[in-house]
Amino acid sequence: MKRSGIFGILGLLNGPQTMGRGWVFWIGFVVFVVLAYLGPTHLGLKPYKINEFLISGFLAASLSILWGYCGILSLGQVAFFGIGGYVWGVIGINLWDSTGNTHLAFLGGILAPTAFAAIVGAAMFLARLKGVYIAILMLVLSLLLETFMLQTADPEVYSIGKAVLGGSNGLRPASDIPNAAFGWGESVVDFNGRRAEFYYFALTLLILTYLGLRMLLNSSFGYLLVAVREDPDRTETFGYDVRLIQLAVFCIAAAIAGLAGSLDTARINRVDPEVFGVSANIMVVIWVAVGGRKDLTAAILGAISLEWLFLWLTTSGNPEYATIVMGAILVGVMLIAPEGIFVFIGERLRVLFGKSGLFSVERKDSVI
Amino acid sequence: MEIFTEIFGFFFQYLDGVAFLILAAIGLAIIFGMMGVINMAHGELMMIGAYVTAFSMYAGIPWPIAIVLAGIGAGIAGMILERLIIRHFYKQLLSSLVVTWGISMIVSQLFLVIFGPTMESLPTPFSEIKILVGGDVGFSVVGPEGFAALKAATGRLPEGVESFGIYRLVMFAIAALLIAGIWALMRFTEYGTRARATMDNPAMANALGINTARIYALTFGVGSALAGIAGGIFALTSAITPFFGAAYTAKAFIVVVVGGGAGVVNGLVASVASLGGVQTIFSNMFSVYIGFVGMIAAAFLILLLMPTGISGYLENLRDRRK
Repeated sequence: MKRSGIFGILGLLNGPQTMGRGWVFWIGFVVFVVLAYLGPTHLGLKPYKINEFLISGFLAASLSILWGYCGILSLGQVAFFGIGGYVWGVIGINLWDSTGNTHLAFLGGILAPTAFAAIVGAAMFLARLKGVYIAILMLVLSLLLETFMLQTADPEVYSIGKAVLGGSNGLRPASDIPNAAFGWGESVVDFNGRRAEFYYFALTLLILTYLGLRMLLNSSFGYLLVAVREDPDRTETFGYDVRLIQLAVFCIAAAIAGLAGSLDTARINRVDPEVFGVSANIMVVIWVAVGGRKDLTAAILGAISLEWLFLWLTTSGNPEYATIVMGAILVGVMLIAPEGIFVFIGERLRVLFGKSGLFSVERKDSVI
Repeated sequence: MEIFTEIFGFFFQYLDGVAFLILAAIGLAIIFGMMGVINMAHGELMMIGAYVTAFSMYAGIPWPIAIVLAGIGAGIAGMILERLIIRHFYKQLLSSLVVTWGISMIVSQLFLVIFGPTMESLPTPFSEIKILVGGDVGFSVVGPEGFAALKAATGRLPEGVESFGIYRLVMFAIAALLIAGIWALMRFTEYGTRARATMDNPAMANALGINTARIYALTFGVGSALAGIAGGIFALTSAITPFFGAAYTAKAFIVVVVGGGAGVVNGLVASVASLGGVQTIFSNMFSVYIGFVGMIAAAFLILLLMPTGISGYLENLRDRRK
């Protein structure tokens, strides 16, 4: 089965760990991507609304590889999102004037949460903490960060260079948090978070992340993740160090969440302690659980469609019912289609199109 | 005398912290220890208890009965939840975690929509009785007249005298009673025997004619009722809002996880005694926030040393000695 060279690498995109393979799926994928790029100009999508959905897509992907593929549930995944967001803002504020770009801000916004995840993850996984404890501990950690950031109102104590952490008001001065900007000197491309250029930028990044993760998940590392999820003891018996695999995927997930946080700070030019809160955390879990945690595509689609629904609910009539509806959707899906809506649809499509066609879901047979 | 005041204050704070943790965690400890389900809607069951207490007391019912009613109300709510939703998620730890989180979100938001953001706050029982320590007073318990007489001279308490409310001690007494009650319930009653058998080996218990589904529902009901009682007790000292429970849930989880699932009562007591101590010391030395951080750090260290919690560690020791 294994092919070498460029076809072997591209073949990873098509592998069994991710839903959707064969030419029908890829034609559908290309059509979807083209439609997404045409969205702001031809389909009447408003960038200031939908830019947020793309960022949710990153967060969902991050929790999906951690929880869906490796079986590590984190109820505090936005801790990394928030750290990424704050670090991006602090570096951006301090270096914007001198460099005119935000390269280092993005680098910091990704590396800082990854390093944090490495420390926390090493403590948790090397101690072989049970899954439930990790889930709760991450939530507590996120809430601790929220509490800490809330009490940083004193600018004398809590400021880093030109950036003032600003307590519950969030990072200040708000007007000076830059946009995402790339390039040197005169030739800098600047992406305003409320406009279509940011949409194209984030969409491209999301597609690249998606394809990259597909390749990762279908590589031998991806097989290991699923093996750890299905039976950690047996994986250990095969000579793999389960703790290192868990730590690695924890860091990768943190890096993606950090990228999402960086993009979000760049998008709205602000970040406040609410990013660490309970409702932010529960939303990520809902997207991934409802969309389908065990598949990358399903999780991302879940995030984008649920964010869309949530926005529609909050802007039309009764915003106070929006969270009730989201909770009800979560409980309903967990009862009726525990694998998630889009995985459910995918499996139906597979039956419809047969083996050669659209959605092959042979993950369970191919594992171990 | 000053050192005595300090020690008493510290001791009082410790009892207060311990009572708080026991009450916040006891219902969760039953459900986690006996059923292995992490109930993220625990705080919302407490919130239901608080609302039942509030409405009962608005209707003129005295507070001890209102708190009992809170337990009954939350117990019934818990049993309904168990039958409708939670029973589908036994043996799926992470899924039960997520689904109960969803329930908590729905319940708190529903209460917000129905009853609005806050309720009229309730009077704290015994608030007129104070314990006074230090200064010329030494140690005495005074009613409103005695308190007023002391303050009459200068408008405030004499130099060096600290006053403590007595309701905190009542909370501690109730917490101790509840723990003893749970221990007796599990040890001496028919239900307790059946429940322990079911938790030990559900298939065998079922084969011996125990209706395990009913035991699960009842146990969830008992845990929920305890949450409701705790909610009622806290409702008498704090503002009642739909998000009332969230403040207690995080601490309750830490206590329960450190206690472990092997022995509900001894795990809970050991965990509360140690974590409450850490919290009191760190809060006193630094700030409430550091107190909370210190408690989490202590919990983490305990879990590193005893991955199955304190009660699991004790059980291991006992097994090894045999």
